[in-house]
Amino acid sequence: MTFKELIKKIFFIEIIGGLALTLKHSLSPAVTRQYPEKRITPPPGARGLHALTRNESTGEAVCVGCGLCAAMCPTNCISIYTSEGEDHKKIVDRYEVNTLRCLFCALCVEACPYGAVLLTPHFEYSGYSRSEFIYTKDRLLENWDKYMGGAKSREYFDKFWTPKSADFARVDAKGSESGVNQ
Amino acid sequence: MITLTINGKEIRLDKPVTVLKAAQQAGIKIPTLCNHELLKPFGGCRLCVVEVERMPKLMTSCTLMAADGMVVRTESDTIADVRRAILEFLLINHPLDCPVCDKAGECELQDAVMQYGPPTGRFIEEKRKVRESHDDPILARNMERCIVCTRCVRMCEDVQGASAISMIERGGRTVMEPFSSRSFNCEYCGNCITACPVGSILSRLYMHSYRPWQMDKEVETICGYCGVGCSFVAQVRDESIKRVIPRIGFGMNNGLLCSKGRFGYGFIEDSGRLKTPLIRKGDALVESTWDDALDLVAEKLTEIKDSYGGRAIGGIASARCTNEDNYVFQKFMRVACGTNNIDSISRTGYAAAQKYFEGLLGQGINANIIGGIKRSDMVLVLGGDPASVNPVLGLSIRAAAKAGAEVAVIGHAPGLERYKTINVLPPLFKEADILEALLLEVFRARGNRGESHAIDRAVSEFDKEYSGKTDMHGLEELKDKLLKSDSISIVFGMDLVQRTDGHRALFATAGLTHLLEARLYLLSERPNEQGVIDAGCVPDMLPGGRPLGIPDFRRRYEDAWKRPIPDTEGMTLMEMIEGAKKGDMKALYIMGDNPVFNLPDRTFIKESLASLDFLVVQDIFLTETAELADVVLPALGWPEKSGTYTNLERRIQLLRKTVETTSGMDDWSIISRLSCRMGYDMLYTDAENVMDEISRVSPLYRNLSYKEISDKECLWPYNGEPLRGEAKDIKVIKEKSRDYDADLYLALDKPLFHSGSISQRSPGLMDISPEPRLKIGTRLAEKMCLKDGDNVIISADRGSISIRVSIDPCVNGKVVLMSNNFKEKGALGIMGYNLDPVTKAPGIEGCAVTLRRG
Repeated sequence: MTFKELIKKIFFIEIIGGLALTLKHSLSPAVTRQYPEKRITPPPGARGLHALTRNESTGEAVCVGCGLCAAMCPTNCISIYTSEGEDHKKIVDRYEVNTLRCLFCALCVEACPYGAVLLTPHFEYSGYSRSEFIYTKDRLLENWDKYMGGAKSREYFDKFWTPKSADFARVDAKGSESGVNQ
Repeated sequence: MITLTINGKEIRLDKPVTVLKAAQQAGIKIPTLCNHELLKPFGGCRLCVVEVERMPKLMTSCTLMAADGMVVRTESDTIADVRRAILEFLLINHPLDCPVCDKAGECELQDAVMQYGPPTGRFIEEKRKVRESHDDPILARNMERCIVCTRCVRMCEDVQGASAISMIERGGRTVMEPFSSRSFNCEYCGNCITACPVGSILSRLYMHSYRPWQMDKEVETICGYCGVGCSFVAQVRDESIKRVIPRIGFGMNNGLLCSKGRFGYGFIEDSGRLKTPLIRKGDALVESTWDDALDLVAEKLTEIKDSYGGRAIGGIASARCTNEDNYVFQKFMRVACGTNNIDSISRTGYAAAQKYFEGLLGQGINANIIGGIKRSDMVLVLGGDPASVNPVLGLSIRAAAKAGAEVAVIGHAPGLERYKTINVLPPLFKEADILEALLLEVFRARGNRGESHAIDRAVSEFDKEYSGKTDMHGLEELKDKLLKSDSISIVFGMDLVQRTDGHRALFATAGLTHLLEARLYLLSERPNEQGVIDAGCVPDMLPGGRPLGIPDFRRRYEDAWKRPIPDTEGMTLMEMIEGAKKGDMKALYIMGDNPVFNLPDRTFIKESLASLDFLVVQDIFLTETAELADVVLPALGWPEKSGTYTNLERRIQLLRKTVETTSGMDDWSIISRLSCRMGYDMLYTDAENVMDEISRVSPLYRNLSYKEISDKECLWPYNGEPLRGEAKDIKVIKEKSRDYDADLYLALDKPLFHSGSISQRSPGLMDISPEPRLKIGTRLAEKMCLKDGDNVIISADRGSISIRVSIDPCVNGKVVLMSNNFKEKGALGIMGYNLDPVTKAPGIEGCAVTLRRG
């Protein structure tokens, strides 16, 4: 043991240093937020509860049931059942998200060619049974009405998740459905 | 030996193939859209271009034959540029509707674009618009997506031989269209769906209800419709079969299917499926539990066995059940019920013919590979239309015809209309006369082979009896061609067995097979007709084709089953039913069949079954027979069970459980539970367990395991030993054929789109062919002023049926054809029968009918 070390030990130099740090932080403003007493607004693009985009003109879901979100999902929490509609078009019978299993990775949002599925910033939801966390198509559309829609959704898609179909708008400008292919 | 280098890899080829094939063999992938394994090289899409050293331009590898010393590169910047340009051109008109296209995920264009395609398109012009066609009940046509590879047209023309579709218009407007314009008027094989690389032709069954990657499971199994036993992969989502796909190089159908196989699986989801056992209480059948139902059956069968003996009990097995089911069934009948009265509906055709042929020509005579037909230089088709009874076998005949073989048809075979080179139309119901004449002529020209005593002697005796000159009925050409051909296939349909003198046609065919050294193929309408015989569900033979009458064989089975087997031969199918009417037969156990509907003379069969003391029916639907039963036990359909089927070429194939169900129980499982209740323990755990016992007991299936059956082709004689030694002496009963002088006769039609009565529970097949039709000839239609679709009432001695007509120019003027597939409109119901004294098959010829408008 050198002389310097001996002095450090006798006069508790390191302990004093530690106490000084504690004193400094106890006098500075707190970082911890007092949730739920004090609520915060999530930043734009925060990944919370799922929603299905509602087509503003028709009032129906934008989703065509291509199943790419479910194919992409790492936890298999999305299940989609489609069938042939009366006019031979594909219709989505069931679209279910098991939010208990969801990782909120937003790969589904990224995969969707039409911007039909998204994660709203709303993150505070609770329930008394597991089944309440399985969001059906209707509830997902309700989520859109509650937490998205209008200018908020335009900002969301413009800033974060431009759907791939937008790339084709130029190519297929005459109004037919555009797609995901490339 | 050709040696070429592709991408620096040296490849040696034994025989000359195209560069594309050579690359595929070496595991090098070259993208292509117009090339298909089953089709000839086409060179249409230009996507498979490669660079070949010392060749100035890029070459299409699908049409370029590999040559010695060739140096090929499949990927380079130039090639990528060309491919990108081609794909960009294709995408000018291809809609980008992948998110709603059912092909997405397995679309060849999508894959190619992902790998080579341009990131964006440069064309801003409007894409062509073509209305999606849903005019057809089964096939959806979206010609916006068509990339004009013509694979569908070539498949339809070259492989299926139906020539139903063509490309129309020119340039960018080119699309595929059926000749019948809006809806398809074709064989509905659906092979165009397989051929289409994009989503232009799609099946409408379960349309838009799945994506290829959403399937829960894929099961490699076999089709349960006819005796060919095509292999396919059934894709299942949520315990429902969404589609079946045949695969190239998988099974003997090699990527092809027929309408029944491809669209006929829907019956298992029918709402009429039996779910619980039913017990008769008074006039009604009421739902019951398995325990009560099985207890009742056991109690009743024991009672009847004790009071009348085993001979008063009979069993009817089914060619729609597996080998395992049938083996357990016959064991139960022989051991627990103490009777040899076991037969199946196959007695009316396949079993009768098979037994006759084996008796004369030795075991395994019909064990010929279907592929052999393609290699024949002459195919002789008798007694039925192979293209509708066994469509995939029919394709082999068409392929043989395309390769230059002679196809001779005796009788009426509409499916071979464009392929036959010789057609002999015998006088009505007198095919046997023609065949006998042919046999004599061939015998006189060629003499005996001296290889098989039984048949040689029989043919010589036959010749002596027939010392006179034969009436050739215009057979000279056929005879000459037969004598000239080296490799002959005889395709024998069961219409000839269903004659009172059916044994005459059988004898003549056996003689011809022997003298011409031909390969014999028996058409088989049900999936396991051969298996029923091999499993021992015949009154005179034990499993493995061992005659019951020989005590040594019997002892072998008695040792294995540890119980005595009755030594007298049992009754055949019709004898059992007639016995029921007479009161000799007290109880019948019917597994998986519907004799009321599938046998002639419905009223008689119904009365006979009604006069039984006790009738048990085990089936998946409440059939006409089940409605008469005292106890009905719900069983499983073929997609729901595991087991093996033996097809018409005697190949054993594994049937794998595809979907789970709660509605019934395996047939073998029901029988073994019943057997335990009757004091004879059968403790099987699963179907494989039953097969283990069969392979231990039956000398034919020696050492056969499921592993072996699934790993390699399981062909006759497996590892087993066929019965050698002298074949039975078959007495040739010489008979003068009857005269048929009524104005009009009814004959049985075997349609392409239906089989038995399960096909009418399949929505897909019902969409194609929703109602039965009476086929009448053109002359008769003119005489009666009938148009297609007019309603008529057909009356015979045994009843009349109201039905719509369809005019078929190939139908003989003195006969009308009607199928036996639709409830209450089955031809057999109003036909009478006379038993053939030799084969014991019911002869249904000569049913005189009258027709009036109605």
